[in-house]
Amino acid sequence: MNKKLTPLILLGIATVLPARGQNTDAELLFVRRIAPLFHEKCLACHGNDEAEIKGGLDMRTLASTLKGGDSEKPGFIAGKPEESPLYLASLRTHDDWEPMPPKEADKLYAEQLSWIKDWITAGAPWPDEAKRSVIAKTHAEKWSAEDGMTVKVTGALSPEWANRRYKPEALWGYQTVRKPVLSAQSSVHPIDALLAVKDPAPAADARTFIRRATYDLTGLPPTPEEIAAFESDLLDEADKSDAYRKLIDRLLDSPHYGERMARHWLDVVRYADSSGFANDYERGNAWRYRDYVVRSFNADRPYDQFIKEQIAGDEMAETNREQRTENSELLIATGFLRMGPWELTGMEVAKIARQRFLDDVTNSVGESFLAHSLQCARCHDHKFDPIPTHDYYSMQACFGTTQLAEQPAPFLKAENTAGFEEKKYLEVRRIEHMAMLESLDQKMLANAEAWYAEKKLDRKDWDAAVASARAFIEQGGKMKKGRSFTGIFETARSTMQKKNLPEDQYPPKLVGFEPEDYGNERVARKGLERLKWELERYEPFAFSVYNGRTPQLVSVYQPIRMPQDRMTSGELEQTAILGGGDPFSPTKPVKPGVLSVLGSAEFPDGIEGRRTTLANWIANKDNPLTTRAIVNRLWLWHFGQAIAGNPNNFGSTGKRPTHPELLDWLAATLVEKNWSIKEMHRVIMMSEAYRRSSAIQNSKLSREEAEKSYAVFKPRRLMAEELRDTMLSVTGELNPTLGGIPNRPEINIEVAMQPRQVMGTFASAWVPNAKPEQRHRRSLYALKIRGVRDPFMEVFNEPAPDFSCEARVVSTVTPQVFSLFNGQASYDRALALANRVLKEKPANVITRVFQLTYGRSPTTEEKAICKAHWQQMEQKQANVVIASHKPPLSVKRDAVEENTGEKFSFQEKLPGYAEFVPDLQPADCDARTRALADVCLVLMNSNEFSYLY
Amino acid sequence: MNTSYFPCAGSRAFHAPTRREFVYGMGASLGSVALTSLMAAEAKGPLAPKAQQVPAKAKNCIFLMMEGGPSHIDCFDPKPMLEKLHLKEFTKEGKMKSAMESGKRYYVKSPFKFAQHGQSGAWMSEPWQHLSGVADELCFFRGCQVDSVNHPTAMYQMNCGNRFGGDPAIGSWVTYGLGSVNQDLPGFIVLPEISYPQGGSANWGNGYLPAQFQGTPLRPKGSPILDLRPPQGITPEHQRANLNLLAKLNAKHAEEHPWHDELKARMNNYELAFRMQTQVPETLDLSAEDEKTKSMYGIGNDATDAFGRKCLLARKLVEKGVRFVQLYAGTWDSHDYIERAHGNLIRQVDQPIAALIKDLKQRGLLDDTLIVWCGEFGRTPDNGVRGGTAYGRDHNPKAMTVWFAGGGVKAGHTIGSTDDRGMEAIEEIHHVRDVHVTLLRLLGLDDNKLTFYHAGRFKQLSQFGGQVIEKLIA
Repeated sequence: MNKKLTPLILLGIATVLPARGQNTDAELLFVRRIAPLFHEKCLACHGNDEAEIKGGLDMRTLASTLKGGDSEKPGFIAGKPEESPLYLASLRTHDDWEPMPPKEADKLYAEQLSWIKDWITAGAPWPDEAKRSVIAKTHAEKWSAEDGMTVKVTGALSPEWANRRYKPEALWGYQTVRKPVLSAQSSVHPIDALLAVKDPAPAADARTFIRRATYDLTGLPPTPEEIAAFESDLLDEADKSDAYRKLIDRLLDSPHYGERMARHWLDVVRYADSSGFANDYERGNAWRYRDYVVRSFNADRPYDQFIKEQIAGDEMAETNREQRTENSELLIATGFLRMGPWELTGMEVAKIARQRFLDDVTNSVGESFLAHSLQCARCHDHKFDPIPTHDYYSMQACFGTTQLAEQPAPFLKAENTAGFEEKKYLEVRRIEHMAMLESLDQKMLANAEAWYAEKKLDRKDWDAAVASARAFIEQGGKMKKGRSFTGIFETARSTMQKKNLPEDQYPPKLVGFEPEDYGNERVARKGLERLKWELERYEPFAFSVYNGRTPQLVSVYQPIRMPQDRMTSGELEQTAILGGGDPFSPTKPVKPGVLSVLGSAEFPDGIEGRRTTLANWIANKDNPLTTRAIVNRLWLWHFGQAIAGNPNNFGSTGKRPTHPELLDWLAATLVEKNWSIKEMHRVIMMSEAYRRSSAIQNSKLSREEAEKSYAVFKPRRLMAEELRDTMLSVTGELNPTLGGIPNRPEINIEVAMQPRQVMGTFASAWVPNAKPEQRHRRSLYALKIRGVRDPFMEVFNEPAPDFSCEARVVSTVTPQVFSLFNGQASYDRALALANRVLKEKPANVITRVFQLTYGRSPTTEEKAICKAHWQQMEQKQANVVIASHKPPLSVKRDAVEENTGEKFSFQEKLPGYAEFVPDLQPADCDARTRALADVCLVLMNSNEFSYLY
Repeated sequence: MNTSYFPCAGSRAFHAPTRREFVYGMGASLGSVALTSLMAAEAKGPLAPKAQQVPAKAKNCIFLMMEGGPSHIDCFDPKPMLEKLHLKEFTKEGKMKSAMESGKRYYVKSPFKFAQHGQSGAWMSEPWQHLSGVADELCFFRGCQVDSVNHPTAMYQMNCGNRFGGDPAIGSWVTYGLGSVNQDLPGFIVLPEISYPQGGSANWGNGYLPAQFQGTPLRPKGSPILDLRPPQGITPEHQRANLNLLAKLNAKHAEEHPWHDELKARMNNYELAFRMQTQVPETLDLSAEDEKTKSMYGIGNDATDAFGRKCLLARKLVEKGVRFVQLYAGTWDSHDYIERAHGNLIRQVDQPIAALIKDLKQRGLLDDTLIVWCGEFGRTPDNGVRGGTAYGRDHNPKAMTVWFAGGGVKAGHTIGSTDDRGMEAIEEIHHVRDVHVTLLRLLGLDDNKLTFYHAGRFKQLSQFGGQVIEKLIA
């Protein structure tokens, strides 16, 4: 394989030139500190761009600096720092001088200020270029040893940047992974040896542990039976480790394991079922990528293979063309490359949209696999990390021949293709839109006759045009399978137009439209367009990419198919460094490449194979960013805190690893275990650290310190999806089926019916699936439209799919209470739980409710207060009248029509509601059940339900 | 008393309100300015008021977002040249051409007559019959330019500084920087159209800032805040009983986890939410306003009722100490019929906006309140031939009018200008980021200091820094 990975080694400069002449300390200070400092902090505004010199101050030369700027004072006065504007402005405290650099984040450190002060005090010498270069060479070795390392990269924009020095600790991510050597004899788990926790908390009790482990690996609560079994196992087994191991193995074998890991991975890659922006079209077949991720984790696909498939699956499929079906998996995997929001409308410049894709995919590969945000190097060499902009565009060149298309990919046996019959609801909509357009066509034809009568014009030509248009359309016309509509009026009018008649001699477009006609026409026409994307859901196509020249796209209003002439037609992109990131300002051409700080890789010359080379370089066992990135994420997913605190950013602005040796041990272990993620869970979960209790007892440490040092286990609140899935799970309503087309649970009805503008029309309402078992699937499967967030998910910190989410945040805000305590879904779940428990006829109802919700029995006191509440509420509930809600079969939409600026409204039919089967309704239950539901609602809102210890 | 709308984790001690407080005390904190400021002084949450970073007059902002791209040429920037060029055809060249702009194009004159108003002689088109009466309060800026010709990306840029969405909205940055005076209401409130704009709620999202700074839409129909009340049939008394059980179970759980301080914040939240169920509808209730005020805003008149209500509510919210209120009106995307569409749209907002300015002024609030009026871009002086001549206009990122009123702005001035057709700004040209930086400055914030660390760097509203447009500042 033609590639080299050169993880960082300290670079010394061998050549030592003899000192020529004597240089003063201040001159050395200038070369070593002041010149680089000016370059880094000042020249961007004071010299680099001659046309835009801020405040008139040019700091490129001694003369121009002494000349000063608009203040008409010299930039500094040699020997007098306290009178030198340069120094005073840098101090940021002087009344007369605006703080420099202007941004708070760029301010100089005390040490940098002292350099400026010393240099001015010593007379501010400014040696010429030649002398500076000699001084630099003479002292290179000494300074290198003292100041940290230079890093060898390719294509830096300036020598100052290329030669800048990095503190070694800021470069930790690029350094070779070194597995720490641990005592072979020790029975201590390597993780515990490396954490070396002082004053650790004891192990958590069995119930706490199985809850923790079950949520971590499946995102679901353990059943009361599973809890009891584990409790007794832990008591019985002579070697406790066996009980833990058995539990972990069982959980890793659960198909829900893949769903849980997929949730984490999809956060990183920004999964959504729609394109975002103006149209927010549905990505009908994105679900197949989501299921690919679930399958990959369940099958314990080696992580290196997982990387390669997502970056270059289509190329791997090319080498193996006969196996069409198996290849589906590889084509589906490349959906990763297209996960960012993207569209191309007629209102956008195609080249800019193309560049948006390239920038998005470049950064996404960096963040997801290399824990390295690359976008900072889009316009200039990276401000903090050894990533020249040349590297950014070299990486981008790997995608210069990558084109977007939905590729034919037969369904796999492993894929869930159930529920496709829901297509019929879309058909109803299609027919309705067609009918509307036909009736508007008739209306326009009638209006046209009236128009001729009013204008007193001869309509002979028009009538002939209408007749021929009618004949043309009756024979099938231009309508493709009834998926778009061209009417008689429009066809006839275009005939008249082609005759080059003056415009006032034939009817205007949309002749005689009333305000609601404009609206109805848009809704129907754009509705047909939107259906093309939704109908893609049931087709054997993958949301994928192919290699080829860049086709001349003007707009994308329907799913893209691969062109036949992909290798010959269109532009063969020559990637170049773009000035200011602007696709219309290419500068130096670049070839496909990798991050030069880590070596190089040899890329093929042609259109194909670039991504395979890139993927192989990333998924190489010696790539220190790749292996560290994934084990760091795994650690985060178990402990709620990462070892390196910014899992998407190992650069110098990211948080340094708290336990670097541990991180390296995990990275090396992953490779030893053949990139098996499941093995890594076993390793991590068998540590003492993972078993520890959360309780702070008699510790000298603060809670924060104890959690950071792993002396205790950090508790966490359930994620939005876990919260909903848990509620469905404890009521027994959860449908555990894996995968398939996205489902539509009931969301807040006002949001579901909220009119939403998309380009030229209004998006259709959110109509839930007809049957409860379709709605009550895991939250992972809920249709994820960028423009409509489920408010329940949103308030509980589900990340928006715009940016990669490296770690979920947890905030406590009042709307959470509105959702969880007042929301219809909570009332439905509470009633379902009450109904379930009463139907089971348990020995003690309250005890069973506690077991299901908390995984434990109530205390005597809890039992008493809950029982009392139940009785009290039964009296109240006897008088409560709750009407069953009837599903709406249509909804009135109010909006302002863009053609007229007038209000208009239309009825949107909701055929999906026709066969709607509601969840259990209060009206179907007696007061006793409803009163128990009050108890259940309270338990589901309680802290014990929401927190994991 | 714990009164933060969005209390932060463990910020204050739990205080279980007595029954009496629930019965009598509910509206008090919203009804009394004195009490509100008293509580603000005690507040320590993330929404607690913070000192301005730089001296400024304006304390609150009302942002009038004319979504869809209002035409400067038909509102505030007359172009007599277009009378001469009307219907003259030409073809557009250039690499930056989208499909929308390609093909044959023709110039379109404004259907509206223009006149100068006030002592300042501000230009306004005929339909602005009420706003012309407060012309001297306005500062027009004709030099603004944006990067995008597409609605959602331009909306994101105008609202959040970044074309691609996902960044915090201006209102989020402002409440992050200044906090909010009223701890019982969100600091950043949005009054959207019934139909959400392109790009959706990300237009008022908090992005990477903490969730407390998210814009809260008060919905014009249905429940103003989602799930503000439990399902029908559940009385406050019923809910109180459930809350009491919740408090008992949570208290016991907290006793067993004394070190776990998040628990308290979550418990407090339930009590606050319960109070808000009554308080928010009271705040939104406009019925207490006198008839004269209501008719001044055009409430009750079909064309102006909807936006009139929004403007009046905006005044009430600012009075109650809400830091940033954004109002939506649209859509101004008049590709085909400027006269009809813009005529109607102007009539819908004209009287309400003029009333808002007058009302704030008579209450002495205008000096403290910055008003901004803009769309996401301007419109072109020409139109494309799309199946026949239509007197409309396409999107124009190179020229637009933004106007300001209130605290700290140079009222009665028109700054910058566009070319003789209104195609591009030619004088005092500023990227929208400079408008953002200026807006922050008027509110006492320094864009370069108002930063948040995310994804490897300190981010700011202007993205990479900008310049204050000094000429807009009094």
